[in-house]
Amino acid sequence: METQDVAQKPARTEPAKSTLPQPGRPVPSRAYPGALIVVEGTDGSGKSTQLYLLKRWLEIGGYRLHFTEWNSSPLVKSATRRGKQRRLLTPTTFSLLHAADFADRCERQIMPLLQGDYLVLADRYVYTAFARDTARGCPPHWLRNLYRFAPVPDITFYFRAPLDVAVNRILSGRPKLKYYEAGMDLGLSYDRAESFRLFQARILEEYDKMVDSDSFVVLDGTMPVNKLQKQMREIVASKIDLKRFAPRAEEGE
Amino acid sequence: MPNQEKEKPAATVTATEAVAPPPPSPPPPKPAPASEDSGTQYFFGEPLVGFDPSEITGSLIVIEGMDGSGRSTQIMLLQEWLESEGFAVQTSGLRRSNLVGRDIDELLAKNAVTRLTLALMYATDFFDQVEHRILPALRSGTMVLADRYIFTLIGRGVVRGINRDYMSGLYAMALRPHLTFWLNVRPETAFGREFRKAQAISYWEAGRDMSLSHDLYWSFIRYQTMIKREFEVMAKKHNFIELDGEASVPAVNKLLRQRIAEQLGIRSTKYTPSSALSHLWR
Repeated sequence: METQDVAQKPARTEPAKSTLPQPGRPVPSRAYPGALIVVEGTDGSGKSTQLYLLKRWLEIGGYRLHFTEWNSSPLVKSATRRGKQRRLLTPTTFSLLHAADFADRCERQIMPLLQGDYLVLADRYVYTAFARDTARGCPPHWLRNLYRFAPVPDITFYFRAPLDVAVNRILSGRPKLKYYEAGMDLGLSYDRAESFRLFQARILEEYDKMVDSDSFVVLDGTMPVNKLQKQMREIVASKIDLKRFAPRAEEGE
Repeated sequence: MPNQEKEKPAATVTATEAVAPPPPSPPPPKPAPASEDSGTQYFFGEPLVGFDPSEITGSLIVIEGMDGSGRSTQIMLLQEWLESEGFAVQTSGLRRSNLVGRDIDELLAKNAVTRLTLALMYATDFFDQVEHRILPALRSGTMVLADRYIFTLIGRGVVRGINRDYMSGLYAMALRPHLTFWLNVRPETAFGREFRKAQAISYWEAGRDMSLSHDLYWSFIRYQTMIKREFEVMAKKHNFIELDGEASVPAVNKLLRQRIAEQLGIRSTKYTPSSALSHLWR
């Protein structure tokens, strides 16, 4: 898949229509000054490397930013570990636990920082849950409701790599796939590598379904790293008024 | 997928429903699930992933009510009564899951959690119990007595400003109980009962996180009154059987036994607690 043209994305000042309203609020057309950039894609699509390079670029430029990763809230960590070790997790509880983790980061980091006029970079976002949990059999609209409180990203980069490329990148670099990572709980295959491949194929399919509905910016994960990064930086610069996040020399706005 | 022809959708159990008492044999009488349309008579919204509701042979009986309404006491007594009638009983309640029960206890103790995260942790706790405790029991014909259910969890979220549709959407895959009792008490009564238990009122019972009042008593009363209003809304919608939680323990217990006996086809509702539980019988 080739890079999508980006010219006609709304500027960040136009209130983006939110499909994921916050609970309890009448819902917002983007009631915060910050900006949110998200990367999504299957394991091995190259997204984390690219987001890291984007982050370095912005850090070196001195921009106010915060980086957040999927599944990283300390609050839920012990429960997730226990659930995985003892294999207690079902599609429903797996999904809820990830939502709790995300809610914690959302309420304590992402939202406050967006309110505080920060650039927030997220390695995986709610679309990971939509793709992965739907692949596990959770009802899609239940999932959409579950994550309704999430702010809608200004840019969602979708790193698309063919199944074989992505799967091979993971399999060659990892000694052993973990149970849930390989989707063993789905009973697709007794062989972990095979199970992983089948699971990833389902996830890829779910991601592809969201390209239009969720305005993904599709990038080709097989391109050379530096070229891809150049593209990514151009897109960010064209869609987000980066000056707003530059070092506060003259203070204020 | 459910496609059997029993007698009545579980959710529409009403006071007038009379169950023909089948012979009291060890395998418990069919509870009430069934009719032909999809999963929604078993679930509030949609079926739980990977679960076939037609396997249910037990009954899910929920007791709801605020702190101090007497739920736990009644459940202990009901369990003894049902066991003496030959029914296997499983109980469930908040924060009892293996998955996150203890984690929630810790979060509450540290008081370092935001409302949405807490609501989702409770949802995780709830569904873990549904999948690992409640459903396995119901499949094996066991009676499940639930000390609180989704209604408490929905009410707590809603009074904290979380969207009502969001909360009920979260629990769309919860099983519909065969019977839902609501032990309704005044917050003032509940306060006294709760205080006597521990000589204190806890932070969360009093809804202190909501900054309703610096005075513990008024914080408790305001918070529990808000919750009670939510229950009033849900009571109509979900056919709660409302009981006066201020009546004596034996009086409330008798009403509970009558409705449950009707549901399960138990002929006699006679019961006197064993000496182990007689202290509750006042």
